[in-house]
Amino acid sequence: MTTNGRTVFVEDLRKTFYDESRGEVKAVDGVTFSCHPGEVFGLLGANGAGKTTTLRMLSTVLKPTGGTASVMGHDVVREPESVRESLGFYSASTALFPRLTGRETLRFFARINHYPVEGLAERVEALISRFGIQEYANARIEKLSTGMKQKVSIARTIAHDPPVLIFDEPTVGLDVLNALEMVKVIRELRDEGKTIIFSSHIMSEVEKLCDRIAIIHRGRLLALGTLESLREATGEHYLEDVFVHYVTRAEGLEVAAIGATGELEEAP
Amino acid sequence: MRKARGPSVLGTLFRSEMRMLLRDTRTILIAIVAPLIMFPAYILVMNHVESREQRALEEETYVYAVSGSRARWVGEVVRAAIALDTTDPDTTRAPAVFELRTPEDPMAALQAGEIHLVVEGYSAVEWDSIRTEEREAEEREAEERASRAGRAEEAEPDTSLVEEEPSLPAVRILYRGESDFSEAARRRLRERILEVRAARRDSVLLSSGFPVATSEVAAVEAESVASAAKASGLFLGLALTPFLVILMLSGGSIVAVDAICGEKERGTLETLLTTAASRTDIVRAKLLAVIVVGLAVAVINVSNLLVYIVLGVLDLPPDFVVEIDPLGLLLLLVLLVPVAVLVAAALLLLSGASKSYREYQVFFFPVFVAFVVPSFAAGLPGIDLHSVIALVPLAGVAVAVKEILVGKIDLPFQALAFVSTSGLALWLTFKTHWTLSNEKLISGSDLDEADLKGGAALFPRHVLRWFLGLWVLFFLSSLWFGEDLGLRGQVVLNLLVIFFGGSLVMVRRYRLDPVEAYGLRKAHPAAWIAVVLGAPSALLVGFGVTELVNTFVFPVPEQLLENFGQELLGPELPLWQLVLFLSVLPGIFEELFFRGILVHGLRRVIRRKWLLAVTVGLIFGIFHVSLFRIVPTALLGFILTWVVLFGGSIYPAMLWHALNNAIATVPATLGWLPEDFEPEAWWALPACLVLAFSLWILWKAGRGNAKRGVDEMRPGDGTNARR
Repeated sequence: MTTNGRTVFVEDLRKTFYDESRGEVKAVDGVTFSCHPGEVFGLLGANGAGKTTTLRMLSTVLKPTGGTASVMGHDVVREPESVRESLGFYSASTALFPRLTGRETLRFFARINHYPVEGLAERVEALISRFGIQEYANARIEKLSTGMKQKVSIARTIAHDPPVLIFDEPTVGLDVLNALEMVKVIRELRDEGKTIIFSSHIMSEVEKLCDRIAIIHRGRLLALGTLESLREATGEHYLEDVFVHYVTRAEGLEVAAIGATGELEEAP
Repeated sequence: MRKARGPSVLGTLFRSEMRMLLRDTRTILIAIVAPLIMFPAYILVMNHVESREQRALEEETYVYAVSGSRARWVGEVVRAAIALDTTDPDTTRAPAVFELRTPEDPMAALQAGEIHLVVEGYSAVEWDSIRTEEREAEEREAEERASRAGRAEEAEPDTSLVEEEPSLPAVRILYRGESDFSEAARRRLRERILEVRAARRDSVLLSSGFPVATSEVAAVEAESVASAAKASGLFLGLALTPFLVILMLSGGSIVAVDAICGEKERGTLETLLTTAASRTDIVRAKLLAVIVVGLAVAVINVSNLLVYIVLGVLDLPPDFVVEIDPLGLLLLLVLLVPVAVLVAAALLLLSGASKSYREYQVFFFPVFVAFVVPSFAAGLPGIDLHSVIALVPLAGVAVAVKEILVGKIDLPFQALAFVSTSGLALWLTFKTHWTLSNEKLISGSDLDEADLKGGAALFPRHVLRWFLGLWVLFFLSSLWFGEDLGLRGQVVLNLLVIFFGGSLVMVRRYRLDPVEAYGLRKAHPAAWIAVVLGAPSALLVGFGVTELVNTFVFPVPEQLLENFGQELLGPELPLWQLVLFLSVLPGIFEELFFRGILVHGLRRVIRRKWLLAVTVGLIFGIFHVSLFRIVPTALLGFILTWVVLFGGSIYPAMLWHALNNAIATVPATLGWLPEDFEPEAWWALPACLVLAFSLWILWKAGRGNAKRGVDEMRPGDGTNARR
């Protein structure tokens, strides 16, 4: 189902919307990248850089105004349901139904994501034991603590065992321990061969976790590569400095089209 | 790839929807259980109160006094009336005990509530003069009212009342309408006095040699030939649809509000939208949940009432029988299905279109009214399904339901009612589907920066509210002070205080740039030529269009138009004042208000220019209050919006407006035109060409301005250009 080993393919993706106060806003302005199985692809950018808009287009919640994107070979515009079936979407804003129990939640999400009925019960139990939520699997979500909710939430994201997972700023609002737990789970999932797109504005997380990093600013990709290649290209050691390097350059050049070609690393 | 069957996903969605609802105990208690107790409780209490009141009325001793020049005679009449036996169960002859009292001033005693009635006796002559006086007073009042309303219509004396009847002495009963007891006393006494009068008349007739028994003069009795079932069917038919619609609305709302906008608020909607479940399945599941709960609430409440009736706690109206054949029952059920779907779809659409619970609640009331009103259509006098009503969604079904319940089967038209209602239901469902992909709602929180920025950024969102508020002010002030101020005062109040003052408040409040907001930019020299050509031709086009509309769409009575013409010509003013008040001032200030600040605010909300022009035109028309002026003024507003959009400057629009008003009023007022002059409608055709040419010049000139670096006013990119 993948094309040339690519699970996610994004080309010249654009999203322009109209805002009463700001007029026409180019939230995403020609973004191109692709991802592969078994890697964590990091989307690094400040708030409002276009990370969430990009990921929402990938998850088909928003429609692109230009360019193309596909997941497991399915086009986000033409086959939105197949795209969503192939991915799990986790973000701080995707809440759980408060009046369902953890077990019901997992069963529900596996089912509506077309997980086969035959293996459903086993799948749900496996998830429950994997994330250690046996003790409260039959309690309503509204009664759970933040950490417990987070575990159920991750479990529901992968309930239907999708090949691609999107984590949009997953650590927002989590304490240190829960954030570490999140990072641990993402590593495990990568090791299982999933494609993971991870967006964040926290440098240390991206530094630790991501195999490749894309720096996004004002809707454009300024740089894309492994941490090493970015360090080499900029001569900076810390990712924070790398980031600042690209952003100041972009601002200085009035967002000249540096990102689109030259420095962009093509699919390896 | 795993592929599952649609229905099971739909089933999963629906089941979890219902499960979540049933677990929400508080909602269930308040929305379903509480009405179960409260409905019958309400009816019981009302019944109790009514029967108590009835008893109180029966047990009361009614106190009366007699007065007038023939008090003795009338006293004797009343005594005879009271003496009539009281076995008749008819309410008007309900048992009652009367007591005579003789206060010094009977009227004062009546006013003070010491007695229930004053019975006056008058001689024939007195009575005639009293009636003449009353009639004259009425006429005077009617005349005053007419002149206040500014209508020239003549108050016609009602000659039918002046008809010379043979004068007779009269009995007049005075009572206090606000008192139940006084009112009851009047009803009881009047009925008895009428009987006494009839008996006396008969005896006079007989004694004068007319050997006619009363029964032979006339025996009138009304009896309906309708069976009890049909009468009950009519009652039920009128009440059934509104009753069900109200229950469905209140019941369905419990789920609907939560189904989309509640999920939006909690953040679960996005979770759902990122799953493989199709939008269609999501909408279907939610729609199904709303229908099921709405119907459940309706069924529970109806059966609840039935239980109370069977238990004998509640009484049905006497002779209440419902007969309905199986076909009728089937038709009834089939017809009520689209109603249930329609209500559910509307509620779900409302939920999808609302950003929050609060917004849902704000809009629920208008939706509620919009549904309840047509559901009462069966109560329209003389309504018949064999009419356009069959095509009106919901109203058609309401009428069809009534006809079925009185035993009328009219398949083709019942089918029409079914189709029209189903059609609307389907369309609303489709629209709900659309709200789920309405990106502004899904990611609203990210995009709403205007709230944070405040100031000028917030203005486009608030501009319509301001205009609504100012319209109310404008309307009320013309209602309250219109007459006292006269034409000049009114012009000054409207233009300077409401329009200009209001716009200044907006400029201050939102810290707008006055040059931008009012469009105070230099105009291209060619624009002035365009205006001189355009203004008179637009006036002719407006006249032609108005004629067309009056002839074909809604005819305005000739009389009304003439009166209005008189009004516009207004008082006798010197020429300079006429030009100042009717042309120059409106030209300046109405333009600053409508084509300045209104266009400035709206152009960021309504991005299509023609839609913007239509909206501004309509608002301009609505500000000219009287209904039949909307067409020409809206057209003028529409054209003037283009003038501003093309040129980017307010000044040509000001001149255009002033010219328009001057041509329309000055020559006619000063008698420069022949008495019965009226432009021909066909003049509008050549005028159209001139108008188009003039607008073309403006457009060209505007483009020229843009090239020379003068900012063209283009909706939408104003902010971008500055960035």
